[in-house]
Amino acid sequence: MNDMTSRQRVLNLFSRKPIDTMPCFSGQGMVTVPAIEALGIRFPQIHLSAENMAGTAIKSMEMFGFDSAVVPYDMCTVPEAFGLEVSIYEDAEDILYPTIPKKWASPEEVVIPEDYVRKGRMPIVSEAIEILKERIGDTHAIGTWILGPFTLAGQLVELDVLMKMAFKEKAKVEALLDRLTNLIIDLGRHYREMGADYVNLREMGTGADLLSPRMFKTLVQPRLRKIFEAWSSPKILHICGSTDLIIELMNDCGAEAISVDHKNTLSETRKKIGNDILLLGDYDGFTLPSKASTQEIRDAVKACIDSGVDAVWPGCDIWPDIKPENMTAINEAIRDLGRSPTPAVGRT
Amino acid sequence: MGKEELREELLQVLKDGVVNFEEDKVKEAAQRVVDEGLDAYDAVMNGLAAGMEVVGDLYDQHEYFVPELLMAADALYAGLDILRPHIKVEDLDQKVKGQVVIGTVQGDVHDIGKNLIKMMFEVAGFTVHDLGRDVPLEKFAEEQMRTDSEIVALSAMMTTTMMGMKKVVQMIKEKNPDVKIMLGGAPLTSDVAKLFGADGYAESAGNAVQEAIKMISQLRKLQNK
Repeated sequence: MNDMTSRQRVLNLFSRKPIDTMPCFSGQGMVTVPAIEALGIRFPQIHLSAENMAGTAIKSMEMFGFDSAVVPYDMCTVPEAFGLEVSIYEDAEDILYPTIPKKWASPEEVVIPEDYVRKGRMPIVSEAIEILKERIGDTHAIGTWILGPFTLAGQLVELDVLMKMAFKEKAKVEALLDRLTNLIIDLGRHYREMGADYVNLREMGTGADLLSPRMFKTLVQPRLRKIFEAWSSPKILHICGSTDLIIELMNDCGAEAISVDHKNTLSETRKKIGNDILLLGDYDGFTLPSKASTQEIRDAVKACIDSGVDAVWPGCDIWPDIKPENMTAINEAIRDLGRSPTPAVGRT
Repeated sequence: MGKEELREELLQVLKDGVVNFEEDKVKEAAQRVVDEGLDAYDAVMNGLAAGMEVVGDLYDQHEYFVPELLMAADALYAGLDILRPHIKVEDLDQKVKGQVVIGTVQGDVHDIGKNLIKMMFEVAGFTVHDLGRDVPLEKFAEEQMRTDSEIVALSAMMTTTMMGMKKVVQMIKEKNPDVKIMLGGAPLTSDVAKLFGADGYAESAGNAVQEAIKMISQLRKLQNK
């Protein structure tokens, strides 16, 4: 077991080769307050320099024994590069992630600059990935994520406008989604070139608590398929919220791993999708790392494994203000309970 | 056509118009209610709100989803804007008295759920103090104190913003433990809502509308007794 590096463990999982035990990692934000404090900076600063972004990712990974480091942390980097204003909440004492206060009024107004990867904070993200590659790339996996086309569109145009237009002026919404699909394909390739080992496509605005399965199938799925067809492996599709009604459609998008949150009925999902695809999930990224007892943590990890996941990972960004003993206990439980083969991955 | 027959017909048009997202038909029917001197409050509760009740059922049966709720809401507002100025003050005095402070917490700019709930409170006759979105936490307590509202409704769509709600609950309950606090948002679970000290919660916009519809249904039953 000690011979396998964290990076190898993660990459083997994605290529479904035998691993020693389940990796502890995520495809979403897992920066922690203890790591931020250890570096002597404040939460808003982690978004504003490559050194802070990469440094806190590495520190969080080292402190709690994760197998990967993940950047970026917020969902506004691409909209900001398009020219939208971002609230960073630099003076806030609480943990507040950046937001977009004012969006475009309609899809056809959205401007996508040619050189968007050089605008806003995009160079910070690219450089942070390069720093990770340089400092931990031999031993640990480097993860990144990109919003899916519909969710990204919801960061550019108000979601209610977008949803109503998807019925009333579908062609305009589809035109924007097509433009964003092409951009996401390019951006995923760019992040891989910078050094990312895996890319998670987070299409969280399309769960069945928002869109109908019918709309998912006609509006969302074709574009997800196009992205996954263009991206090289490993590639993950993550949707949080209500996914039971669309899990088969998610399975038919071309990703080699599906990630869901705690609102998914995992055991049913495994039956529906079979054992030929990786299933990742789905512990509560707030309750478990910051509130649960050691026994509750162990029970929750076991429940995920018993339901058929191939890796126990959080269903959303980990709430940064974790209890260190909880985060350590989660990862210890995953390593300890994850020694047996899972539906899609064997053991060494 | 007798007055009662006309009333029934217009109520049906209002109801169907909401269910089928037909803003123009709703506007036309609402205007006729006003022009014919029919009871505007009756039209809101037994036409528009009754339509939203059907919409809620369709959401529950996974026939409708959030885009459909939003389009039904537009149709409802199209009628409500015409009818509301004609609701008699004594109607509201007899039916519902209440005030609610509503908003999404700082760090969150998603307000679909908040706006749907606001609509249902307005339909029910509550006075709604809408603080908007990305609202600094202390504003909720300040507005509750200023208006002496019985309910404060907060929403956060992201795991990364829901912690703000806990602080707001604490701030308000410290000053006034009788205020009822409703939380809404996708990251919520009943355990988290309980942990935060809330009196009620809804995990999605549709779910929140369902809860609000139950409240309105009770009002309609009381009104029709």
